[in-house]
Amino acid sequence: MEQVMQAPTKPGRYDIRGLAEPDAEAPRTAVISGTTAELDAADLSTRRINLELRRLLHEEGVTDITLHNPKARHSIAVGLLLRCRITIEGSLGYFGCGLADGAEIHVKGRVGWSVAENMMSGVVVIDKNAGSLTGAALRGGDLVVRGHVGARTGIDQKGGTIIVGGNAGSMTGFMMQRGRQIICGDAGPGLGDSMYDGVLYVAGKVASLGVDCVEEEMTDADNELIDRKFGIYRLDRPDTFRKFVCGKQLYNYDTLEPSERKLVL
Amino acid sequence: MSERVDISDISGRKLSGGKSIDTEELTGKTFPYQFDPSLVEDIDLYASTPGEDLNWLEDIELMTEDGIPAVFDRYTNAFLKIHFEIPEGRENEYARKVLIKHLQSGNSYGVWLKHKHAKFPQPELGSWLAESETVGQNWQPPQLDGWQKPTGH
Repeated sequence: MEQVMQAPTKPGRYDIRGLAEPDAEAPRTAVISGTTAELDAADLSTRRINLELRRLLHEEGVTDITLHNPKARHSIAVGLLLRCRITIEGSLGYFGCGLADGAEIHVKGRVGWSVAENMMSGVVVIDKNAGSLTGAALRGGDLVVRGHVGARTGIDQKGGTIIVGGNAGSMTGFMMQRGRQIICGDAGPGLGDSMYDGVLYVAGKVASLGVDCVEEEMTDADNELIDRKFGIYRLDRPDTFRKFVCGKQLYNYDTLEPSERKLVL
Repeated sequence: MSERVDISDISGRKLSGGKSIDTEELTGKTFPYQFDPSLVEDIDLYASTPGEDLNWLEDIELMTEDGIPAVFDRYTNAFLKIHFEIPEGRENEYARKVLIKHLQSGNSYGVWLKHKHAKFPQPELGSWLAESETVGQNWQPPQLDGWQKPTGH
């Protein structure tokens, strides 16, 4: 994969924020039309793409951006902490759309590891497949993958809803603490391993359950949630959903310090 | 934005001495919408959240802190207590409305810190309110008086 890099203007300068190109500037190449903009990322580095997105959103008043030629670069469209719409015409690499709070992002391709990790709120829709760690540490919002996902989907999930149109890999919902996952296809071995809380719905086969994950009866509220989400994202609902939750045999919250309790809220 | 609270004024601060850290402890203030439900009635939860449903507010529920009904403000990592009587069956709705009112008013302690500590451009009042001021555009790393950079850096 081609990765376009821009030489820093001051080689070797240390940036406390850990930026790879601390002196990079927004390229100002986007074509703006009112509150919408088109950005061709073909010849831009990751840093400059993200700088241009921030410039458009914060300085130009743009609220709807279409990004062309993402070339599966990593860490694109991260840290967008405002209401906006981003359409990505292609695929992303690792850690795409992470740390979002309010953005509504549509990726018309595939994504690598950890898409939408740590999202606080918003909507991320992936039209094709996603890699492992999809929605890692998700805090809120909806993450929809219309294709398959890899292993450990929603690891450490603390809120929000992950919807998978296809199959999910092993250890789906590993260490999940809150939130919901709706898997339309099969789930690999170790479903819900060491989950503390939250709900996993699986319509296909489950290879095996993880430690302290148990099946529970579906309720009207469960069906309302699934129907509502599938209506919003125009997904066909299978009739065979089963519900899996924490068995709470390893549940020792009463002894936790108050500050630790807040980590999962 | 509403009138900014002077966080350096701790004259009204009343520490509970308990184990918990709630919003009143952090800010030294209480806010009118913690006591009066009419102040949050007109909050539009759907307009305040992305997507077609409640989005992240789906995970926000009425809880208790120190035996008092409270909603958790994840942007401060603290509870915001609700002191008015909540109609039965509308517990989560009021918890969500009080939280959104708190965030949109700019009273969340985490929001106060943004002016000084935000390292990247972002709306001061987050994604909950349109036309919010942008902060974090000119962040400079803090430096102690008299500090000298170590050799080799």
